Amino acid sequence: MAKKKMSPAMRRYLIRFFPAMTAYMGVLYASLWWIRHQAPEGPLLWALGIAPALPVIAVIVIMGLYLAEEQDEFVRSTLVQAMLWGMGVTLAGCTAWGFLENVELLPHVPLYLVFPLFCCSMGLAQPLVRWRYR
Amino acid sequence: MKNRLKVLRAERDWSQADLADRLEVSRQTVNALETGKYDPSLPLAFKLARLFGLPIETIFQDEA
Repeated sequence: MAKKKMSPAMRRYLIRFFPAMTAYMGVLYASLWWIRHQAPEGPLLWALGIAPALPVIAVIVIMGLYLAEEQDEFVRSTLVQAMLWGMGVTLAGCTAWGFLENVELLPHVPLYLVFPLFCCSMGLAQPLVRWRYR
Repeated sequence: MKNRLKVLRAERDWSQADLADRLEVSRQTVNALETGKYDPSLPLAFKLARLFGLPIETIFQDEA
């Protein structure tokens, strides 16, 4: 069986993705530690509060760059379809949850979980989308 | 869209991976093209036509 080759765009994606995720873990830990132990206020609290979001936003940009740089149009097309499924599941799930939360049947869930939900549903959709073309 | 890619590839004794290398795409892409489930863009269709030395309309048959 032929060895599966990685596209240059995928290689660049991974080279960008792993430092961003490492930065996320470092920044998240540092920001939580600082807020808990130093009790900052005002602009510093704002800065520390937003800090963990920045590497996550970087990951969103890195995903967008991969989509723009990938030269294999079929791979690009299946990724876009998986992203649409992920978006649909996330929007539908969050809307349903919000209304159930409104009538106090479900607890409040922090909004930073929306992006991981999108990633998980996109990840699950990807093999299903590919499977349709077999 | 129906196409003759599988036949043309077999005539040249290329594997899907060989064709994928020549087109600079993944093997999954070649497979999706051959089954007719994925229609290529014009640039990729022209690339295939040049590779096989044939006009596009002799490779792809639109079923109209």
